[in-house]
Amino acid sequence: MNIPWMAILFLLLKGVAILAFFAINAMFLIWLERKVSAKIQNRMGPMVVGPHGSLQLIADTVKLLLKENIVPAEADRFIWWLAPFFVAVPTVAAFLCIPFSQEWIVSDLNVGILFICSITSLCVLGIFMAGWGSNNKYSLLGGMRSAAQIVSYEVPLLLSVLVVIMEAGTLSMQGIVHAQELGWFFLKPNVLLAFVIYLISATAEVNRVPFDIPEAESELVSGYHTEYSGMKFSMFFLAEYANLFIISAVAATLFLGGWLGPFRPSVIWFLIKVYGIISFLMWIRWTLPRVRMDQMMSFAWKVLTPLALVNVLVTGWLLIGKG
Amino acid sequence: MCQSVNNIITGFMSILKGLGVTGKNMFRKAVTIQYPFEKPVMTERFRGLVDLHTDKCIACSQCVKICPTAALQIEAATNPETKKKFPGVFTYNEELCCFCGLCQEVCPTAAMYLNTCYEVAYYSHDEVTKIDLLKADKYVHLAPPKMKELKK
Repeated sequence: MNIPWMAILFLLLKGVAILAFFAINAMFLIWLERKVSAKIQNRMGPMVVGPHGSLQLIADTVKLLLKENIVPAEADRFIWWLAPFFVAVPTVAAFLCIPFSQEWIVSDLNVGILFICSITSLCVLGIFMAGWGSNNKYSLLGGMRSAAQIVSYEVPLLLSVLVVIMEAGTLSMQGIVHAQELGWFFLKPNVLLAFVIYLISATAEVNRVPFDIPEAESELVSGYHTEYSGMKFSMFFLAEYANLFIISAVAATLFLGGWLGPFRPSVIWFLIKVYGIISFLMWIRWTLPRVRMDQMMSFAWKVLTPLALVNVLVTGWLLIGKG
Repeated sequence: MCQSVNNIITGFMSILKGLGVTGKNMFRKAVTIQYPFEKPVMTERFRGLVDLHTDKCIACSQCVKICPTAALQIEAATNPETKKKFPGVFTYNEELCCFCGLCQEVCPTAAMYLNTCYEVAYYSHDEVTKIDLLKADKYVHLAPPKMKELKK
């Protein structure tokens, strides 16, 4: 039997590369978040471990690895154990279709953007399982809020993605990047509106301030991961920051031209754009207060969804006019 | 309709304003310092621990009388040659001290003063209650060798 060893090895290497990037990126983002928040509040942030606290997260990771894994007595154990993986695995899987450059993509599916959107929505399942399995009213409330929030914000998010798909005429991530070779999509007014809608709904999608009501510390004691400790907690944490990277990477690819840039290597351009968007989202996070649940829901259904629908309509009209 | 559109516009503008405020602060210098590594310098009038210029003290006991919490104890001694009084024993109980600064005000020779030391954590109770103001290294808790000793 002829086993394609090289192909299998290559696949494994790609998997390891994704996992390594998943962890390192999350560690870097947590450090960045702490630094940005410190800068905004005129503090210094982590300074002691390593130059400017850059090794702080390694110390924290070691601490989390050594911690005891506490299981609540009344927890639904099976669901409780499974939930962190349900949150982390879809996030890792979404990295499959993210084009870092012309060559650096694990698999350029012809339905790439559809794959990313659908698989990142699976995270809510894990969050709800965590809330249910913890058998804690605050966790359950957090999980339910998260489900309600993601279901409502998925609609304007997908509608704004649809605008880009209509402009590009393809679902493949590389195809969308190539369609922007003549001009990045966000330069068109209708796609710019879609970009704004996408950023708002994506912020809600990853449960960040001002839409962080599923884990609102002051009312829900950090929501669905209240009962988790040690490595399970850090799985939620890593997945949260990996999700942040994914929404920013999708935004960069769909609206800002992905890895396109004036000179090579193109992966630099991609990372600049992604981390630019991430920094902007962090800036927003440390500026705005949390919105109320009803405000958030009415904003999704009464403002964003109609706006996104009209935007799709106008885009279709413009495209028909072009012929 | 008009009202809600207006709401959205004002909301958007106020978000921009808020982003401006935080953005400005992002490039300001940090107001905090790395405390155990760099220590803030207090002003001259800061009321820290009670301290004594030993050579100026005439053991008049004014400070002992005015001290509202009886934190000071003095035993006067006389120099047989010059017949001048000087403090033989002068202990300070930091645990009782309320840092009011009255001893500093009442001292006729300006021997008593409150220094700028703000670190008042101790390793043992004796270090707090019996600080010998006549010694040069009176604040034992501030001396680094002590810490090494405790670690052993």
